[in-house]
Amino acid sequence: MSRRWGMVVDLDRCTGCEACVVACRAENNVPTVGETEAARGRAIHWIRIERYWEGEFPNARIRFVPVLCQHCEAAPCEPVCPTYASYHTADGLNAQVYNRCIGTRYCANACPYTVRFFNFFHPVWEKPLHLQLNPEVSVREVGVMEKCTFCVQRIKAAELQAKAEARELRDGDVQPACAQACPADALLFGDLNDPDSRVAQLARSPRGSKLLEEVGTQPKITYLARLSWSGDGEDR
Amino acid sequence: MDRRDFIKLSALTAGAAGLAGCGHPDHQLIRFLPEESWIPGVATWRPSLCPLCAAGCGVMARVMEGDAEVVRNGRTGLLRMGLVKKLEGNPAHPVNRGKLCARGQAAVQIVYHPDRIRQPLKRRGERGTGEFEPVDWDEALSTLAARLKQVLDDDPAGLAWLSRPLRGGKRVLVERFLATLAAPAPVYFELFDESVLRWANRLSFGREQMPTYTLSVANYVLGLSADFLGTWNSPVAQAIGYGEFRQGRPGRRGKFVQVEPRVSQTGANADEWIPIRPGTEGALALGLAHVLLNEARRPTTAAGTAGERIEGWLQGLPEWTPEAVAEQTGIEAERIRRLARELIAHEPAVVIAGGAALAQTNGLATALAVNALNALLGCVGALGPVRFTPQPESTGLAPPHRTLRALVQKILSRPESPVKLLLLYEANPVFATPPAWQVAAALDRVPFVVSFGSFLDDTSILADLVLPDHVFLESWMDDVPESGTEPAVVSLAAPAMRPLHNTRAMPDVLLDLSRRVGGRLNEALPWKSYEELLRARFDALARRAGADADAFWKQALERGGWWSDNGGTRAAAPRHAAATTRQIRYQPAEMDGSVEEFPFHFLPYASQAFYDGTTAHLPWLQELPDVLTTAMWGSWVELNPQTAERLGIRQGDLVDVTSRHGTLQAPVILSTGIAPDVVAMPVGQGHRAFTRYASRRGANPISVLAPLEEPETGALAWAATRVQIRRAGVGRLVLFSGGLSRFPHPEER
Ligand code: SF4
Repeated sequence: MSRRWGMVVDLDRCTGCEACVVACRAENNVPTVGETEAARGRAIHWIRIERYWEGEFPNARIRFVPVLCQHCEAAPCEPVCPTYASYHTADGLNAQVYNRCIGTRYCANACPYTVRFFNFFHPVWEKPLHLQLNPEVSVREVGVMEKCTFCVQRIKAAELQAKAEARELRDGDVQPACAQACPADALLFGDLNDPDSRVAQLARSPRGSKLLEEVGTQPKITYLARLSWSGDGEDR
Repeated sequence: MDRRDFIKLSALTAGAAGLAGCGHPDHQLIRFLPEESWIPGVATWRPSLCPLCAAGCGVMARVMEGDAEVVRNGRTGLLRMGLVKKLEGNPAHPVNRGKLCARGQAAVQIVYHPDRIRQPLKRRGERGTGEFEPVDWDEALSTLAARLKQVLDDDPAGLAWLSRPLRGGKRVLVERFLATLAAPAPVYFELFDESVLRWANRLSFGREQMPTYTLSVANYVLGLSADFLGTWNSPVAQAIGYGEFRQGRPGRRGKFVQVEPRVSQTGANADEWIPIRPGTEGALALGLAHVLLNEARRPTTAAGTAGERIEGWLQGLPEWTPEAVAEQTGIEAERIRRLARELIAHEPAVVIAGGAALAQTNGLATALAVNALNALLGCVGALGPVRFTPQPESTGLAPPHRTLRALVQKILSRPESPVKLLLLYEANPVFATPPAWQVAAALDRVPFVVSFGSFLDDTSILADLVLPDHVFLESWMDDVPESGTEPAVVSLAAPAMRPLHNTRAMPDVLLDLSRRVGGRLNEALPWKSYEELLRARFDALARRAGADADAFWKQALERGGWWSDNGGTRAAAPRHAAATTRQIRYQPAEMDGSVEEFPFHFLPYASQAFYDGTTAHLPWLQELPDVLTTAMWGSWVELNPQTAERLGIRQGDLVDVTSRHGTLQAPVILSTGIAPDVVAMPVGQGHRAFTRYASRRGANPISVLAPLEEPETGALAWAATRVQIRRAGVGRLVLFSGGLSRFPHPEER
């Protein structure tokens, strides 16, 4: 059976520490754009932590939500791409073929999660910062859209490794950089088609739901609700 | 292969081809013969250690071959060498078990930073202008050796060492170096060093060290200003435990209440966030203890020594009724009673106080009150959640802040500085101390300052000679984490890659210097290299563990250290004699500046990206959106919207923040998570000099702090300054714009 890669984000574990955000940048050659361009809204983060403030002082309440590409089954970014740069792989990834992309940015407009980022200029790594670049991940050029790949290079490497060892891929063999870094284990990755994988089990949790489920994108990331406690001693 | 596969493959390999580049000026460079052999495209993993905070997390560095531009024998060329590409947590390391924080993830940028100092430098221009010229190592070292001999001939008291607090082999080396020369003991400084809590733990429990909080066994956590999921103590270890505490134990979800004047990243995760008047956290602890002793009838003796330290404890703290405490803290009496009841109902419960709660003139009394409360709750000891990691060697340090102030006073006490030669290593006190401490003026009086720094920062820019250290991934590393782990740990790592530049490891430079100076130093420091020193330390550990020295060393190198994980070889846990038996009386915190003139309490806090400022030079962290505000690349001050409205200030406005000691300017971010009479600001920006990414960027909150201190330890009371604010114009905020317009998730349950 083919694989269907997916993720579970446990909002009750997420502490907002942002280790995932830096880990992703380090793994995937995501460029920094500098103060001036960042001020123009051009900073690129494949994964970000959103925060939602509710209530007034002294009853302020904040909730963190890590948001990355949801690798939707019915991805709105795919049909709008005139060059098929945004397409669906057999194992359920929403992939971006950089050398097909001509930068129409239709996909970014179609994405309800605003997780697609455009390279407005040539990315710069001031020497010798470029020596850190991961040779297994393409550097995106000016005029190209980019976004989270679920660390496809790690998936490929793990598959190759399993093949070399003549065995099946095991649950936990693939960890995207964000999940690997996460201290509280709020991010979990795996094969949703394997009913016994940890990610498939957690995705069935009664705490689970999808981001903007109602728009019909069928995301492959399940968010487990943060629980709250009223103060009288019981979980709600 | 069909067309799809082909395109997929090209997408994956396009980057590699792009990197090699054609017509690149690299092609004109000569190629040096590789010093090691590598299989292209195959990664190896090597252990190292994160140098960025006292947690001491273990790292695994992913190393792959690449072409680096290096200088060899004065010629620039390309060298094929192993390059660290990515850092992960070391899964075997007991502190961080495979995980890292955001700063740890970014640490790899230190190696490849474009503004790293690439060879020894000597000062050319006026002091502080940053004008230096390259010198070779031999010249630099003979200059230093000559200076050192001269100082030793005149008076060894003229030598001073100033660094962050050291542990492990470096501490042994430096302290022995100085002691052998009859020079004064080293001066250690770190702004957020929590020496108040260490000292309190010595008085309460006989352990002068930071506690290990095993949250995975707790059912209830009450935090008092401790940012334990962000920057405080051992944040990765604590966040791992927190995940377990919330969702790792089916049917048992821990409760978490955070009490602090401004919601922190940690507080944002609490089930209940309670603002408190700054500096009254100790009163709250005493109020909770009062309820436990009187209403829940816990025996006063249950808290042992920790209770005896507190005046009035044995009488049941009669003055500390919830009503009296409510008056001081601003938290209603009924709420205090409820919190106390919850602590008992959800045992094991633990109270964690740190950061701003202890950075007050009454910080020690607060820490002691919390210690007594924890002891009363029975949560201190082998069953936790508060434990003390066995330490293989002494952890106590002379109170760091006080020793730095003593050094400054010594220098300024006479027209001609009695300190003639100052060695500076991994500390930036010009940036991280209040202006009234006069650190910059003092350093300016010292005739010869030597820095081992990898970067020019606010302090090292004053140096006369810069002898750049290797960075952590290029060095032999060791560490002895004092908390965040249950087994004793002595971390160890060989260099993960060869040095990129013409740098030398600080410990090896000290050993070289010792040989040049000769005499007693030769006997006291017999090691040829730091590696040899570490080997000797591990041989001693092996002997204690009854293990074969070679196998022990090899295993430690492979794992990233030694830890007593099977409980078999328990390291001795030094107990410190109680320094005093006297009782401490809780006093209200003293604040600098009158309420009338300076109506706002000023709350600096360790920033998520920069901690105390040491990582502000890393572009990944400059462009990291702060999790609560999304701000990047600058400073800001946080203000309650009601206060702002009253003062006619809007989000993004520039304000003057003025204390009795100075003024700074920064743009405003409005926050409903801060008390109306508090102004908060992250520490980390506002460096006068710190590479192209951080120099003259933003403002430094430490520059307006009053020099108040906790009297017994001399620790800076960095949360005890009052300020006034005034609109000064329109500011510039860089916020990350990505985001969904509303909470994208069905009602939380
Ligand atoms: S907590 Fe972060 S900065 Fe501190 S040692 Fe661990 S990874 Fe490094």
